[in-house]
Amino acid sequence: MHPLSWFAWLGVASLVTLLTRNPLYIVVLFVIFILVMDVERVSQRASADGGGYDGAPSDRGLPLSPLRFALFAVPAGAVFNLLTSHVGETVFFRLPPAIPLIGGALTAEALLYGAISGLVLVTLFTAFAVLNLALPVRDLIAYIPRAFYPVAIVSAIAVTFVPNTLRQFRQVREAQAIRGYRMRGRRDWLPLFLPVLVGGLERALQLAEAMTARGFGGGARTHLAPVARTSLVAGLVGVLAAGVAQLTPAWASAAPLFLAGGALLMGAAIWHAGRGLHYTRYRRPVWHSVDTFVVVASGIAVVPLLIWADSRAYSPYPALVWPLFDLRLGGGLLGLMAPAFARRFSEHSDDHI
Amino acid sequence: MITFDRVSFRYPEVALPALHNVSLTLLESTFTLISGPSGAGKTTLLRCLNGLVPHFSGGVLTGRIRVGVLDPVALGPEVMCRHVGFVFQDPETQFVMDYVEDELAFALENAAMPRAEMHSRVNDVIDLLDLGPLRHRSLATLSGGEKQRIAIAAALAFRPRILVLDEPTSQLDPRSAREVLEALNRLNRDLGLTVILAEHRLERVLPFADRLVYLPAAEAPVVHGLPDEVLGRIDLVPPVTALGKALGWSPLPVTVAEGRRFCEAMPGETKSGTDAMLAYSHRAGVSPSDRAGVSPSPSSCPAINGGEGADSDRPYSDRAGVSPNRVGGPSPSSCPTFSGVVPTLVADGLSVAYNGKPVLRDVSLSLYPRQVTALLGRNGAGKSTLLKALVGLVPHQDGSVWLSGRETRGMAVADVCREVAYLPQDPNALLFAETVLDELHITLRNHGMTVEEVDPAPEALLENLGLLHKASAYPRDLSVGERQRAALAAILVTQPRTVLLDEPTRGLDYDAKDRLLALIHRWRVERRAVLLVTHDVELVAEAADRVVILDEGTIAAEGSPADLLGTPVFGDSQLANPFMPQIARLFPGTGWLTVADALASLPSPPLT
Repeated sequence: MHPLSWFAWLGVASLVTLLTRNPLYIVVLFVIFILVMDVERVSQRASADGGGYDGAPSDRGLPLSPLRFALFAVPAGAVFNLLTSHVGETVFFRLPPAIPLIGGALTAEALLYGAISGLVLVTLFTAFAVLNLALPVRDLIAYIPRAFYPVAIVSAIAVTFVPNTLRQFRQVREAQAIRGYRMRGRRDWLPLFLPVLVGGLERALQLAEAMTARGFGGGARTHLAPVARTSLVAGLVGVLAAGVAQLTPAWASAAPLFLAGGALLMGAAIWHAGRGLHYTRYRRPVWHSVDTFVVVASGIAVVPLLIWADSRAYSPYPALVWPLFDLRLGGGLLGLMAPAFARRFSEHSDDHI
Repeated sequence: MITFDRVSFRYPEVALPALHNVSLTLLESTFTLISGPSGAGKTTLLRCLNGLVPHFSGGVLTGRIRVGVLDPVALGPEVMCRHVGFVFQDPETQFVMDYVEDELAFALENAAMPRAEMHSRVNDVIDLLDLGPLRHRSLATLSGGEKQRIAIAAALAFRPRILVLDEPTSQLDPRSAREVLEALNRLNRDLGLTVILAEHRLERVLPFADRLVYLPAAEAPVVHGLPDEVLGRIDLVPPVTALGKALGWSPLPVTVAEGRRFCEAMPGETKSGTDAMLAYSHRAGVSPSDRAGVSPSPSSCPAINGGEGADSDRPYSDRAGVSPNRVGGPSPSSCPTFSGVVPTLVADGLSVAYNGKPVLRDVSLSLYPRQVTALLGRNGAGKSTLLKALVGLVPHQDGSVWLSGRETRGMAVADVCREVAYLPQDPNALLFAETVLDELHITLRNHGMTVEEVDPAPEALLENLGLLHKASAYPRDLSVGERQRAALAAILVTQPRTVLLDEPTRGLDYDAKDRLLALIHRWRVERRAVLLVTHDVELVAEAADRVVILDEGTIAAEGSPADLLGTPVFGDSQLANPFMPQIARLFPGTGWLTVADALASLPSPPLT
């Protein structure tokens, strides 16, 4: 799939998740993203197995699975909101109001709203996790503005560094266990943390040396020309002015103008800075019909939510009510399954080549 | 031509120079092997060739270096990378991308090369190194040998005339190492690429090298020239050369193939080296199993039939022809034993899977006091997993592990490791204290033990390991061999009866390897059981009483070193044996594995 179609899918997936607080739709979205992720993972494993090597699972694996994250985030969100939001009619009990922040009524409505917020967070995390799994590092780098290329490379390395660091942490934990080490308290983390830190620095140094030996950093340097520097500063001032204008009734109507002008100037500065940096791309992504299918299907997912906005809304406040499920909206969400179908379609096509 | 003219280099904040007055010339289109003890400056020398030293390292460099007409010190790595490709020890630390093709193109993209030219170059290196099947693979799914070939290909993307490699095979099994070295040999022979490679395991690389540079420790002059000339002037040499020296062969054999010429030239009825040597050994009235005189491959054995106090001197394979691990048909409720002797550690029908994928299947293995068992197998065969499963770091789905007669189910790893010393592949993970001595005290404290409870005391243990003078040193400042011994001290301080070592010779020079060998012999005398996971067949030949070969998670073969390492094929399978040490390849079928075996059986000097 073309990276841009993945980005489009992610944009729609994020927008749809943020548009509603109806837990039924959020659960549907979460299940859809998990399914897309699973299809992607199975497909990648199959291609790895096709290579005939039964090595370790891919290093692009997430540090935390969405389901495990959900086990933490949903209860954490619920408890936090229960303790800090004292709105709602179904009161469990009351803490003395004198206690800062948590003092007051603890309600079922706050508990539910917190759990829904946690679920929204998990669903967004899952959507981004799908993108992380599906797109190679090169595609993540390719669409970052040219001026930020060195930063993009460093970010890409960081992406691959996280699993390596986790693996190293596991090694160190094992190594300390075989020396009879037992975790008892917070201070006991030090013998685990220090070797990971030192090892991480050593690996960073090795990678930096390897990249230097391959000529990285040897191209033209990005020097911000005076005109670009001025443009950047002016752009920042424009954005700041937009914020101030928004707060001033007399100038409020001019705020969008300031914002657009500021953004334009900053964009011009970044474009100018990128011109001084020379690199080329090995690959040119090709747009296939499945990409069109994914973009269209993803777009279909958001349309019902925009048309029937009332159906998507849900709030447990002031009293608990059962969320409604509109089949038109729920059916539309299935459009976000498109990458899974596209992947299956691609594999099927490949089988017949 | 590459020239070093009185080059000295000192790293920042280090008193002693890493290179001292080095002068040498390396010829174009040659395959040069750089050897020498740890700390002699091999890595520094290599990094001078592309300007990493001093541009990346800092430090003070004096003298003159020329790579052809180029001055790497003046030009730096940004320019030199187009002329000198560089491959590091661990391929994983040099990869930036996550797919093979993207990794190969990375440097070219940075150089702003036109797309068509990039495709042409990537295709070229893929063809050169036969990487077609790997082209679209994720790097994470490749084996160690494949990764190293990708690293070589990535270094060649700029079409440099010189390829420099820093211990590229140190982490590979023999077969993968050979694949990498053969690829390098092809590049050298077919394209005239100058290959400069540093490596500790001379026996691996010498068959391909036509020049040898020996960097001695301290400030002695560099020795360089044809391999046989250099090997004649240094002490630590591969077994076939050591035998040649002992027997007065001239010119000295550098490879097994060269050694065979001396076998063929010997007096006898047959022309074949093998037959000749067999005839010779028969004529001389000696047999490998006699192994009298010179210290041969280990023949001391564990107590099997007569309890711990009745050690036999007979070879292990002679023991009623039975391997101890399966005898008695261990029942789930009792620890497997052999004729009443309790092994220190037993795996009984062990099965382990990662993410549903079986890694070990029905593995049974017993470790006995006074026995050194070597576990061999290709990368990914499950060797390290077996060690982890034995100490409980990896859960097993089926089977059981028994420690001194008790099943370990439910025991904490820390409790198991009070009686089992396990040295992982990377000893750095064990070391975090301020001093070497602190490492030992921390282990004792972890186990709730005091210094008074252990014998030998921590200082005495460090002395045994040759580390007492480093007791107050920061562990990560030590050399590779010293760090390994510091890690060993940290796990041996509780006086465990079983020692498990995972790739203990990785990165060790010959001297450090000899020290390790001496330690293993001492452990045998101290009645410990030792399990050695290694790719180093020469170490196995010197140290092991018994060899177990693991293949795709199951035990494929088990027996005495002479049986398993001494024959060119595995049993009746007719599959080539990749685990033969040099002496066994020189004298196949004789059962001789080490120089001492051969010298013990050959009246001296039989050949000149």
